[in-house]
Amino acid sequence: MQEITFIQAVLIGLWTAFCYSGMLWGIFTNRAIVLSFGVGLVLGDLQTALQCGAIAELAFMGFGVGAGGTVPPNPIGPGIIGTLMAITMPEVTPESALSLSIPFAVAIQFLQTAIYTVRAGAPESAANALAKHNFSKFRLHANLTVVLFALVGFALGFLGAFSMETLNMLVTLIPDWLLKGLTVAGGMLPAIGFAMIMSVMLKKEFIPFALLGYILAAFFGLPVIGIALVGAVFALKHYFDTENAPLATAQAAVQEEEQDDWI
Amino acid sequence: MTGSNKLTKRDYTKTTLRAYFLQNGFNYSNYQGLGYALVLYPALKKLYGDNPERLAKELNDNCEFYNTNPNFLPFITSIHLAMADSGMEYEEIRGIKMALMGPLAGIGDSLSQFCIAPLFSTIFASLAMDGIAIAPLLFLLFENITLLTIKLITGAYGRKLGTSMIDKLSEKMGVISDAASMIGVTVIAGLAATFVKMKVAITFAAGEAVEGVTQSTVNLQAMLDKVAPALLPVLYTVLMYYLIKKKGMTTYKLVLITVVLGIALSFFGILA
Repeated sequence: MQEITFIQAVLIGLWTAFCYSGMLWGIFTNRAIVLSFGVGLVLGDLQTALQCGAIAELAFMGFGVGAGGTVPPNPIGPGIIGTLMAITMPEVTPESALSLSIPFAVAIQFLQTAIYTVRAGAPESAANALAKHNFSKFRLHANLTVVLFALVGFALGFLGAFSMETLNMLVTLIPDWLLKGLTVAGGMLPAIGFAMIMSVMLKKEFIPFALLGYILAAFFGLPVIGIALVGAVFALKHYFDTENAPLATAQAAVQEEEQDDWI
Repeated sequence: MTGSNKLTKRDYTKTTLRAYFLQNGFNYSNYQGLGYALVLYPALKKLYGDNPERLAKELNDNCEFYNTNPNFLPFITSIHLAMADSGMEYEEIRGIKMALMGPLAGIGDSLSQFCIAPLFSTIFASLAMDGIAIAPLLFLLFENITLLTIKLITGAYGRKLGTSMIDKLSEKMGVISDAASMIGVTVIAGLAATFVKMKVAITFAAGEAVEGVTQSTVNLQAMLDKVAPALLPVLYTVLMYYLIKKKGMTTYKLVLITVVLGIALSFFGILA
């Protein structure tokens, strides 16, 4: 079993922090193949890291970067934790590292949901800062999610490298009912966002369109582009109707005048 | 409409590159809303910097819910800036901003996450499998060059479209913004029905238990789905709408209520 020095653990922590933050920036650093590469470099075992990264990359391929809403199991599981297991524990192969690290991938997924949930109050704080014309404080609030990502990433990488048992214990420490409850709450929270935007956009005459959107999504299961296109059909109709309306009344007026002459 | 025309090409490019910061403030109440305002910050500062009151209002307005694909965002921000630079108010811009959000998220996500990423991912993962050490770096390089190119192209195109559109169509802006809002409302209602998730976990036995026969159970969620799919999510969204619009509740309160409610409902096995 290879010993990991304190410096190496710090380096792995920093690498994880960078890669995890990169997920929000959309630069594709939070992929198993990239994550494991850094671990391999720091620990001097690039070949094992490449194997771990490649296997996990293919297994996790369907998962994208920071798309809003749904949070998939996180590649930090196999990319960092799994690779650490494979390099430091001789009995762990790159393949078994993948399955061993899945609980971590799921736990990190919950952690991420928790960050987004904790940050749900941020718009309020930002609005307060703006009301006081405190623009630097506004920018701080607007950047805080990425700061939290970096901190959590560092903690995960460092702890994983420094003490695997501690990490294992922390995962089991979170009570099951709380994890489940947070997932349910995470599913309900977007309602607030949609309600906020509707409270600004939804004029009375747009209510049929809200109904239309719901029907298309819930009953017909249309993808978002399809919904937008159907909305566009009615919007274009409205546009052409109002565009031609002044012209039509003008023509009617002219016609009336001509008729007047006849009588 | 003459407007200020304060923004140069450099400001547009800067805003385009700031699309990387779109999710720096990601959260579950306005998603990329804070990020959108953050992306526009330098440009808005240039436009309204001499009037802190106005700048604060613009930033605050732009903090409302947003969720799109970061790689196609420059298209939206460029149009936004072109309109703002010509002197338009946020109320006139909002319709287009919101109408573009859903479709570009759809196109952008399917292109970047389900087409480009899997392509490079398979190529370079197999190279890594063969032990080629720089495969991960090549993956990053190819992926990011592609995405940066998309950002720059859509940003430049949005600027061109935004400026020409305003010259030609400024007098029609009211009806265009209405039409755009209609698409926006349709999409957002559709998103609410799919994004918000509430499933009833309660099932109960139907009829008496007969020995040797599997007792049939009634699944409450399945029944609700037959009445109307996504009924609970829509009702909860309507409730939130009511609390915001009629009761003037803040997001803080609503988030707290929702989290407590979610944990409680899950704890008692009502929602799963």
